[in-house]
Amino acid sequence: MAENENPITANPPAAAETAPAKGGPASEPGPARPEAPAPAEAAQPNRPKAAPPTEAAQPRGGERRERPGLRWRRRRGPSPRSGESQPPRPAPRGARPASTEWFQDLRQERLRFELEEIWNEGKLAYRWSGAITPPPPLVEPRGLSREQCLEIFRWMLLNRSLELQLENLYKQSQVVGGVYFGLGQEGCSVASAYALGAGDWMAPMIRNQGSLLVRGFRPRDIMMQYMARADSPTGGKDGTSHFGDLGPRRVIAPISMLGDLIPVMSGVCLGERLQGREIAAMTWIGDGGQSTGVFHEGLNFAAVQNLGLVLIVENNLWAYSTPLQKQTRIRDLAIRARAYGIPAMIVDGTDPFQVYQAAHQAVERARAGGGPTLIEAKLMRMKGHAIHDPAAYVPPPMLEFWRLRDPITRLEGWLKQKGWLEEGAAEALRREVDSETLAERDAAEASPMPPPERAFEGVYCDGCHQPRPRFLGRGGRRRPQAES
Amino acid sequence: MQLTYVEAIRLALEEEMRRDPAVFLLGEDIGVYGGAFKATAGLVDAFGPVRVMDAPLAESALVGAAIGAAYTGMRPVVEFQFMDFIACAFNQVVNFAAKSHYRWGAPVPIVLRGPAGGGVHGGPFHSQNPEMHFVHTPGLKVVEPATAVDAKGLLKSAIRDNNPVIFLEHKFLYRRVKEDVPEGEHLEPLGKARVARPGRDLSVITYGAMVPLALEAADRLAGEGLELEVLDLRTLLPLDLEGILASARRTSKVLVLHEDTRTGGLAGEITALLQEHAYDDLDGPILRLTAADTPVPFSPPLEEAFLPSAARLAESVKQLARY
Repeated sequence: MAENENPITANPPAAAETAPAKGGPASEPGPARPEAPAPAEAAQPNRPKAAPPTEAAQPRGGERRERPGLRWRRRRGPSPRSGESQPPRPAPRGARPASTEWFQDLRQERLRFELEEIWNEGKLAYRWSGAITPPPPLVEPRGLSREQCLEIFRWMLLNRSLELQLENLYKQSQVVGGVYFGLGQEGCSVASAYALGAGDWMAPMIRNQGSLLVRGFRPRDIMMQYMARADSPTGGKDGTSHFGDLGPRRVIAPISMLGDLIPVMSGVCLGERLQGREIAAMTWIGDGGQSTGVFHEGLNFAAVQNLGLVLIVENNLWAYSTPLQKQTRIRDLAIRARAYGIPAMIVDGTDPFQVYQAAHQAVERARAGGGPTLIEAKLMRMKGHAIHDPAAYVPPPMLEFWRLRDPITRLEGWLKQKGWLEEGAAEALRREVDSETLAERDAAEASPMPPPERAFEGVYCDGCHQPRPRFLGRGGRRRPQAES
Repeated sequence: MQLTYVEAIRLALEEEMRRDPAVFLLGEDIGVYGGAFKATAGLVDAFGPVRVMDAPLAESALVGAAIGAAYTGMRPVVEFQFMDFIACAFNQVVNFAAKSHYRWGAPVPIVLRGPAGGGVHGGPFHSQNPEMHFVHTPGLKVVEPATAVDAKGLLKSAIRDNNPVIFLEHKFLYRRVKEDVPEGEHLEPLGKARVARPGRDLSVITYGAMVPLALEAADRLAGEGLELEVLDLRTLLPLDLEGILASARRTSKVLVLHEDTRTGGLAGEITALLQEHAYDDLDGPILRLTAADTPVPFSPPLEEAFLPSAARLAESVKQLARY
């Protein structure tokens, strides 16, 4: 899966303004129009990207209440700025633009590897080829204090410790059904949810155990869901991460069908807007889920209505056993944002600081009325689709490459180097987290199985809940935004 | 106030939007254009383009957005240009909306409304009766009014209900039914059938555009000394079991009539309920008259052959009356 290093903005910005040459690649994304030439960084694509773009270079929308989708203007004929025809150099397949108004790549390294089909003793298999190189250091955390960085680290440890307990429970036949792990994705799950405020909403995917913890659910909630116990958040009616809270935690329960959360979370933003509030609604999808039709419908709806959807595409390279190459022809899923007229970012999903920075920016944009953002996080699913799947189809060197990018190892190393984690502190923290999940596990095991008669309860809401818009005045007047 | 069926729908929407600021509308061409059948005519001018939203042509997005807004306490009403297109949003309806309260106690107070049914030569994709997909989905309510009074009163109740309601309006009735409709707070309850015409000899249990057909047949047969009772179900899920049993016990003979296709149609369910609860009260077999098990054909003679007709109804009724 080689990602091409030739950003098309190697063309001077003026040339990129020209209409595509006949026969040229019609789908190549150009820099944002009709804005000013792309930032200096884009004009010098070979310059190493040491520092992330400054706030000033971020897509606007915060201060100007404009709709990115509606700013797009059609040009007829050659641009007055383009001068004589200077056809854009055709970009090789897979090219990605450098950072522009609509697109930012925060990564410190580009992934260069190939995955191909081979016949191995009469069986079709995948071969991975690439250099197993160590990862770059994490980016500097922007807007995060030492305490916050340590808090993120702790959530990540708790996420992993919880999943270890889930595995143990499964092996002891205490789990009903399968277990879905987010091993290797904890940094993304935790740091993205960490960017949300109390007034925002989120809806997890199956592997986002970490985001549920950050949002205030306890490890026992997730354990009891997997164990189908009476005191699980759904009372045994559903399992896994399929639970939520319309109350203070503001979490929407997902369904198994992927993509459907995207219009639903757009609707959450719409409902809040009708109550006079602009908020961020975050959800996640994978490289597989992005192939669904409802992904398109929902993202387009959010874009047209300029709703504060924050969509994290966790590109973990495998959808069950199907590699990315069999889902899509493009290499960077983020470039799809261009088709919806919305900003996009690519981050290294194993660097929690990059994830936080992108998510924070997107959340701020959403709250300022700047509309949706698509963030592609590149990472790797380090286990099978579920616990029953040994993932024998994943070539071992691919796992070896990504094991070096373990988000917890990376963050721990960074914290130690920074002097924010003293000698022995990580071990102490691990012991503390592990004893917490053990205690949580005891609490989960103490919950009985649900009483059979519960199966027949709750099909309809017969006045047991009183849905009402919390922020809508009685006479339909809108209150000012109460939270941020 | 003399209103057509579609005007009654429009009035219900307007009154509910005035009464409750949580109510808003989503749909395709419902704003400036006022809806393909003008069910939302003028509402965008009264309430603005945010509460009467012209959405992209994407039914899954529409229903999904309605569900999300409902989670924040709003009461969205989604218009389908034709109810056939609810198939495009099937997953959102049956997997997201219908199961939400059961799974995690999150009510989804949404109404999915639009024109259903045939008799207007709309062809296979503009004439269907999709109710049974949803009657077979626990967690939904399915409503289909047959009169303008019910169209208004049931729609208002549907909007105030805390559950997802599939509200099927019969397009054949939109402008063919006109009657005096009460203004303001006139609600018709969900889950209650209505005796459209009392009679002693035989019950015709039906709904939607088959109600006027049954009433027409009843008028004709009354001249031949046969008194039909016509029971308009109005709500198809949950069914009004008491109302069905009461009618069956009054007449001891039941014919179930519907415009939907035969196999897996509601008539089968009602027949089973009667067998279970009123077997001893019946003096004859339960008959059913339905559309044929085919897609809805386009050409008028084909569609007429496909749909139940007054003549075939009279024939079936006479057959049952002989018992």
